[in-house]
Amino acid sequence: MTRSLNELRPVYVVGIGWHRYQNPSETPYVELGLTAIRSALADARIEWPAVESSYVATALLGMASGRPMLRHLGATGAPLMHVENASASGSTAFRHACIEVASGISDVALAVGVDKRNPVRRSDTGIGHLAEDAIVPFTHFALLTNEYAVRHNATAEDIALVAVKNHRNGAKNPNAQRQQERTLDEVLGGKRVSGSLTALQCTPIGEGAAAVIVASEDGIRRLGIDAGRAIRTTASVGRSERVYPPGTGFDAALTKETADLALAQAKLAPKDLDIIELHDAFTVEELHYIESIGLCPEGHGVRMLKDGALDIGGQCAINPSGGLIAMGHPIGPTGIGQIGEIVMQLRGEAGPRQHGGARTGLAHMVGVGAVCYVHILQK
Amino acid sequence: MQPNKLLKPDLYFEGSNDREGATVRLKGGRCRCGYVFFPMQSYGCERCGSHGNALTLCELSANGTLLAEATVHLHADKNRPAPFTIVKVALDDGPVIRTLLADDSAPVAPGQRVTGRLAPVGQSESGETVLDLRFSIAS
Repeated sequence: MTRSLNELRPVYVVGIGWHRYQNPSETPYVELGLTAIRSALADARIEWPAVESSYVATALLGMASGRPMLRHLGATGAPLMHVENASASGSTAFRHACIEVASGISDVALAVGVDKRNPVRRSDTGIGHLAEDAIVPFTHFALLTNEYAVRHNATAEDIALVAVKNHRNGAKNPNAQRQQERTLDEVLGGKRVSGSLTALQCTPIGEGAAAVIVASEDGIRRLGIDAGRAIRTTASVGRSERVYPPGTGFDAALTKETADLALAQAKLAPKDLDIIELHDAFTVEELHYIESIGLCPEGHGVRMLKDGALDIGGQCAINPSGGLIAMGHPIGPTGIGQIGEIVMQLRGEAGPRQHGGARTGLAHMVGVGAVCYVHILQK
Repeated sequence: MQPNKLLKPDLYFEGSNDREGATVRLKGGRCRCGYVFFPMQSYGCERCGSHGNALTLCELSANGTLLAEATVHLHADKNRPAPFTIVKVALDDGPVIRTLLADDSAPVAPGQRVTGRLAPVGQSESGETVLDLRFSIAS
């Protein structure tokens, strides 16, 4: 018989840390990663030797980048593994760190994501294509934007409002790559990228790092960690794309099935969610995914956005960190940074971007392929 | 007259009785489970996992309905200077494909009927006209 994460022993996030997401710089990845890990250790108030296992999420650093970074914390001999799962690399690393602790194999594990903006290299499958070389991610989502706009009678302005909200949130986040509020005119008037997408509606791929430490109740007691600041992971689900009926968007369908399973695992309904950090690499994705997660019926996302229901302080704060559009998307760190943001919100430590009374948060990432990961955290 | 040369002969071929290249057929595949896909491959069926003789070549019509379009304004690859337009088409024979709109096509919008044609895109080293698949509004 198989079991889900929340049927194993409880696992808690006890430490969170970042190196700010930023434009590409000369800073070596080692420095980015160490900054995030030391910050997470300090947040948990534990020392490095307490960490029994490490999961290093990175998509663009090449082979075996973890040990040249981790050795500077003092080489303890603890196991480490690298996780590459496209944009969902960090979420995947977090899932497996949680599984290791929940299973009882370790009491304390680290998930760290670190990346620099290096060229993406994908191997040839041997199957030809008509024009896939001309369809980079922003054009994939420009096509979805066109479909969404026509199907739901949404304007380019309606969809761009997602970016206005997420830039507003990012402006209050010291770890965000973009920390500037933007008006609708600025968003729409920026550089045109593909279809109706403008530069400020697209994630600015950069560099950075994010780290979280997870622990069991035994670990929390043994290390004297403050249980009042520990946030439990109550659901973890990973899925990959299936064959959907012709014309069905796989992005939304995959998110729906993954989120449905996660909500069932945590015994929650969409209305119970106070916070969602989701994969808004492009504005239209936020509308697709809140509808897929079940916050509102298909096509009603714009109405919620205009009503302020998705703002910090609204019905459910979407991407209070600024999301991929404003906080940024350094690839490996992104899914781990989402977990950190939700933990900060659920602890009530999010300062000027605190969503009042937050008790339940959901983190969602998709990665090309396609894969989808959803985690739920509860106070 | 120099003969034409197809840019991607693994993916499509010129329809018979048409030396002008106005008709093109796509090289799709069909699994014995009934799943129809594009392009043809023999690794295995994405729906059921069958492989080998279970997968056979299946000619697909290049007629379909436009699902979405996007004009690309920025593109890093110097060999394909922007702007160009990508279309997502639900083929009448099942698969959904994404490819280029013909440079001389009128603007298109979702719901319109479109059709694929072979269009000249350059010259080969030996002087043949190179043809590639492009979509435009169905006439």
